[in-house]
Amino acid sequence: MAPMRIRLDPWPVDMEGGQLGLQRFEGDLIDIETPRWGAVAPRSIPARLHTVYVVDGKRRMESRVFLEDDEGEAGMGGFGAYVVGAVNLCPHGSRPAELENVRARRLLAHAPGLRVDPCLLSPRDPHTGQLQYTPIVAEGTDPLAPLHKLQQAMLSAEQELSHGLASAVPFDEGDDREALTALTLQDGTLRRRSNLGGAVVGYVKTMQTQYLPPDRVGLLSELKPGERTPIMHLTSKTGKTTRFIWYVRLCEAAFYQHPMSGVMRLEMYAPDDSDFLPPIVREVANVSGELLCRLASRAHKDPRAPQNLIPTAALESAMSRAMGSADLVTRRLRAHIAGQYGPGAVA
Amino acid sequence: MVLGTEDATPVSFWFAVSPGASVGMDDLVTVRTRKPGGQPVSFYGLVDAVRTRHEGVTFDSDVQDVMAGLLPASVSYAARVLVTRVDPEDFIPPQPGDEVRQARGEALALALSADKMDYSFPGGLLADGQVLPVNYGFVNGEQGGHINISGISGVATKTSYALFLLHSIFRSGLLTQRGEGHTTRALIFNVKGEDLLFLDRLNAKLGKKEGDFQERKGWQEGRYARLGLPAEPFRDVQFLAPPRAGQGDVIVPDVEQRAAGVTPFVFSLREFCARRMLPYVFSDAGGSLNLGFVIGNMEEKLARLAAGDDAPSLTVDDWQPDTEVLLSENLRFDDMGKTRIETFAALVSYLEYKLLDQNDGEGDPRWVLKQNQGTLRAFVRRLRGVQKHLAPLVRGDVSAAQAERYRPNVLKSGVQTSVVDIHKLGGHAQSFVVGVLLRDLFEHKERYGRQDTVFVVLDELNKYAPREGDSPIKDVLLDVAERGRSLGIILIGAQQTASEVERRIVSNAAIRVVGRLDLAEAERPEYRFLPQSFRARAGILQPGTMLVSQPDVPNPVLVSYPFPAWATRRDEVAEDVGRDVEEVGEDWLGI
Repeated sequence: MAPMRIRLDPWPVDMEGGQLGLQRFEGDLIDIETPRWGAVAPRSIPARLHTVYVVDGKRRMESRVFLEDDEGEAGMGGFGAYVVGAVNLCPHGSRPAELENVRARRLLAHAPGLRVDPCLLSPRDPHTGQLQYTPIVAEGTDPLAPLHKLQQAMLSAEQELSHGLASAVPFDEGDDREALTALTLQDGTLRRRSNLGGAVVGYVKTMQTQYLPPDRVGLLSELKPGERTPIMHLTSKTGKTTRFIWYVRLCEAAFYQHPMSGVMRLEMYAPDDSDFLPPIVREVANVSGELLCRLASRAHKDPRAPQNLIPTAALESAMSRAMGSADLVTRRLRAHIAGQYGPGAVA
Repeated sequence: MVLGTEDATPVSFWFAVSPGASVGMDDLVTVRTRKPGGQPVSFYGLVDAVRTRHEGVTFDSDVQDVMAGLLPASVSYAARVLVTRVDPEDFIPPQPGDEVRQARGEALALALSADKMDYSFPGGLLADGQVLPVNYGFVNGEQGGHINISGISGVATKTSYALFLLHSIFRSGLLTQRGEGHTTRALIFNVKGEDLLFLDRLNAKLGKKEGDFQERKGWQEGRYARLGLPAEPFRDVQFLAPPRAGQGDVIVPDVEQRAAGVTPFVFSLREFCARRMLPYVFSDAGGSLNLGFVIGNMEEKLARLAAGDDAPSLTVDDWQPDTEVLLSENLRFDDMGKTRIETFAALVSYLEYKLLDQNDGEGDPRWVLKQNQGTLRAFVRRLRGVQKHLAPLVRGDVSAAQAERYRPNVLKSGVQTSVVDIHKLGGHAQSFVVGVLLRDLFEHKERYGRQDTVFVVLDELNKYAPREGDSPIKDVLLDVAERGRSLGIILIGAQQTASEVERRIVSNAAIRVVGRLDLAEAERPEYRFLPQSFRARAGILQPGTMLVSQPDVPNPVLVSYPFPAWATRRDEVAEDVGRDVEEVGEDWLGI
């Protein structure tokens, strides 16, 4: 009988779920690249891949509100802000990385059936700019509906940005014109059902579902940094979602850590037809090992290292900055409301 | 734009430099802000610090990721401004986001308070090639006076800058404007080498040096043209030098490099006594109260002895020196039966006799005045000590006509600049000459009032007016520093370390200049007028650049000044052809 052993979950404790408890996946999984189940060595990044975008989004509910319009209708709503943005970098390191399209948008999400005017918050100090909230109708009167609406708006902006930036992926065997020149890495799973056609890879940092059958899981612990598993074609239990997935290891797990720490699941949109593996997907999978190892962060800089990539961390802080200080925004909202409806203005 | 992440105050603020722009230390900038009522307030200032850093990154090692193209970061390039002027004087802070622009033309003049100056002269070129005006009102004594220059020898080029300032005052048209051209003079003491004996000759290297500089900067015109000054040597200069040691009728100046045009100067023995020069022989009289008493006593006795005649030598009837003196042919009837004292050595012997030998070692009681023998001996010993140095200078063996001719006169008409060469003299003799000349000048001015301005250039102030101790020459310098400006005597003093000079002399200077300083020295209280960043920089200043502080501008300004148009040694004299350029160049570099 093996002696008792304790190992640490690599994720900070305030992250929900962590990595240790994995749910079992109940959909279909098909080997599409090769029937041989073994590690695939990383390939070097081809010279023609000149741009990699790392895309992420962030949202923040700034204030929940109760609205009454001039016709006496009332409902819940919320002032919120979201940002999506990208880091544009060269995988060969030949130019500085740049932030792209990092700009906050502000929404006043509200229950349906209300007449709401756009809200313009002017500061007392003219040097500090105005905040403009655009009204948007939420789905339903649930108090959480405005938050969901905000999330939805952010996700769709994120998708649009990701796919707009990347190379197009050809969908049938005859179409091989499009070469991989620009690739987008998107934080989190690919949420849409339909494919927008760009070379977009979703990278999932925390594993909560174990897609692999027990006899295959062992490989994940054996992967060397940069190596990946073969690509598989996945169909969800409902049959509505299809993806290509593979796993990549970014770094050696320390002896005290969960053996799967440093392993990341990557996914790309897949056609329903499970026979065809577009060459560009294989190409993306081949470069993913080296690319991600290069982008991986270090433990002393980021508690979510190595999976939280260096550009992502920078992007996250740029996005928070673009939304502005939450305290100041809340205070501005309060001052606006006080100035508009209150007996006198407050700070 | 003014930064919002650092405090912006009416005296100092940071601003962000737009990409593509370049801002360096010493650039002059201006900001205009508006009060809520709409009234504009302008700030003028000087950049005293610039820095760049990566913005948006957390760790120092992130720079590797940024350079590898992984981590997006921006470079923040910011500069700090020390405000020199707020116009109108409405001390509100500038607002974050206010635009900062380079000060040029009128804005520059306001930044340097040039509009407050009735008369100004160029004090050098700013980093961007614009001229720094120096307020003449703070130089000639009207509002303030005196200039003090500090810096390490050799690299700080204190004397060069002092001469440049003189050149600028004399030749910038300022004096003509004021109608004082013929009455303003300079008295320069040459304490090092024969550097200053060629002030009236054109410097052969000038064209090349200034041409190179102009080319490097890519300017249309040279530095002299920018300053509005002629690239010419000094005019109307007289050179005075002490005579060579050794007796004889011919008095030859003791200089080596320059053959002609140097006038020797001597003091007659009678002048020495009558004009009470004795105290200036003792540079440490304050050391003992008794000694001071003896000196005062002797000064009085000698003055009485010298009264009533005008021959250069002295005659006494109560002393016979050991050696036989032949009757010389120009013996006068008056002198019959008396001993003529013709040399400084003889004078010392006479004093020794009166104080120690007469009356079998008791001395003449009217001279001794019950002073302790030890003190008297100390007095004589000191006189003997300086005898060698002073003998060529103080003489009784010259004719009255010679004495008249060789008497140093720095106020001679037709002479604008007098250079007094004292570098070959011993320390005591140097102090003696400086003290006596300054005292004469001072007394002359006291008698006749301030009709004209005399600039006195004196290096190594720490030697003549040290912080510790008292000496007659220090008293003269203090007088000059404290009262001189009302009499029109302006001291352009220089020293290596201001901390070792009498505080009142340095603190009386309205305009202070600092060249390269030792960093430890720069931290002393004498340099508190420099902001911290400037004190740190004083350690890396190159020759030809100076930090100039004047009362109108609250912060010092870094200026460069052109290569001297006058020769500073014989091989730089333009007429002196025949040496090839290489040799001259090596000489210049000190190879």
